[in-house]
Amino acid sequence: MLHIYLPVAHSSINILLPIGLGLLVGMMSGLFGVGGGFLMTPLLMMVGIPPTVAAATDSNQIVGASSSGSYAHWRLGNIDFRMGLYLLCGSFVGGLLGVQLIKFLREMGNADFVIKVTYILMLGIVGTYMFIESLMALRKGNKEEEKQEEPQGDSRMAKIVQSLPLQTRFEKSGVTQSAIVPIILGAFIGVLAAVMGVGGGFLMVPVMVYLLKMPMRVVVGTSLFLILFTCIEVTFLQAYTNHTVDFMLAVLLLAGSTIGAQTGTLLGKRLKGDQLKILLAIIVLIVTVKIVLDLTMTPDILLTTAGGE
Amino acid sequence: MKRFSKMIAWMAFPLLAFIVAAPGASAQTTVAISEDNIDIRINYNGSTVNVSGNTENDVDLVIRIDSEYIDEKMMVKDKVGGLLWMNSGKVEFQNVPNLYYLKSSAEVTKILDPGEQKEYGIGYEALAANAVIEPPVEPGKAKTLFADFIRYKEQGKLYSQTVGGVEMEADGNGQSYRAAFEWPYQAPPDDYVITVYAVRDGRVIDSAETGLVVKEVGVEKALTELAQEKGGLYGIAAIIVALAAGLGVGVIFKTGGGAH
Repeated sequence: MLHIYLPVAHSSINILLPIGLGLLVGMMSGLFGVGGGFLMTPLLMMVGIPPTVAAATDSNQIVGASSSGSYAHWRLGNIDFRMGLYLLCGSFVGGLLGVQLIKFLREMGNADFVIKVTYILMLGIVGTYMFIESLMALRKGNKEEEKQEEPQGDSRMAKIVQSLPLQTRFEKSGVTQSAIVPIILGAFIGVLAAVMGVGGGFLMVPVMVYLLKMPMRVVVGTSLFLILFTCIEVTFLQAYTNHTVDFMLAVLLLAGSTIGAQTGTLLGKRLKGDQLKILLAIIVLIVTVKIVLDLTMTPDILLTTAGGE
Repeated sequence: MKRFSKMIAWMAFPLLAFIVAAPGASAQTTVAISEDNIDIRINYNGSTVNVSGNTENDVDLVIRIDSEYIDEKMMVKDKVGGLLWMNSGKVEFQNVPNLYYLKSSAEVTKILDPGEQKEYGIGYEALAANAVIEPPVEPGKAKTLFADFIRYKEQGKLYSQTVGGVEMEADGNGQSYRAAFEWPYQAPPDDYVITVYAVRDGRVIDSAETGLVVKEVGVEKALTELAQEKGGLYGIAAIIVALAAGLGVGVIFKTGGGAH
């Protein structure tokens, strides 16, 4: 019998299904440095796992996938620990602010609408920008491959950024930035992640690529390393306060995703930074379209569980 | 239910006399199930509940399995800003069971008077009539909301109402019956009640009930208890296992020659 009963989800599942899902999503994580919750949670819900259990168990699974991926990227020298630490500090504070902000927005009423629309716009703009930018870079050909664009100092913004105190050399990323920049950007992502209820990988990757000017390989490794910490925190909170982590399901997902993360990392090594970016851009755009369709098409049933997020 | 059994008691004497006067005309309704327990083990993937028993001649049968009647909170979606479907408010369905399966030998609305349906809670219409929607809405809206509620439950395999599937055959001075209920894995651990109603001339004339206990055992039970009672410890254990798995696989890939 290939079926296994999931005690917290109160659901029975064919074990090949979560292992396969884990492989797929883990591979994406190793390739792009995203947690893959945007894909995993709805897929689990489609096979009958309650939404709250799906989200919580997914974060437990990401702990495994991202530690597997972080380890692989660390061995390849792809993690900028210093940059990661600053971003982490920022996003931690941002997360706390975001939770307060969302309370305030909810009290104003109709906040969910504003949040959803902002989320869609943001994903759409980021996806489109990344797509066009990496397409143009790919067209230009290989001659400028991996050439690092140091801050060009042609804009006023760049001048201000350069004159900030605490200028730090980030060796792995090959950039010199004020330590304040990643902390503020981290806080910004933390606020958005808390308000929109997403892990933040989608936002973190473009921010690191375009605003911190880090090379794509280091972005993927560093992002995975950050996701690892976020998901450890979320898993604990979900298990402690909501009792929604299904250990049995997490183990099955892990069996696939830890291996997937390794193969994703290996695959990523063979691809150019711009190829990775354009693939991620396509995925971001597909997710955007899916969210828009979900929100605009008349649902079959107008009721959902009040499990709360 | 109590009132009904009292009524039966009052009727017992003349009924007994009637039985003596007309032999073979009547038999008490009984109900039994193949197993009183369903144990949820690690490879559990649903089960079957076989219901059987005896009843009188010339009756229709209604067999119901339900769980405790509770209040269920749900979110209602609505079109916000004329554009996006989003959760717009909460609604509570009060006095509804989490699980409700009904099989009858003929269509409930044709064999039972509406008052009887409501009194015994037989059929979706009776469920709707006995439920309370909070906050209150106008009757038309309540009807569509409850219809949606039933569809939601049916999709989750927690509600079903079917006609047929009750086999009956002559047996001694009455008849025996049997019905098989598919018991999906979606039905959570709980104490369930199985009730059989014998129906004649639009009225319930006899009934019998028995219990069904669905419970987790072994690893399943241990994990559920740990998750519920020691959430912190459970969370830490889950994190450690995930980390160990991630790093373990990482090391295996390194030494296994996956990376160069």
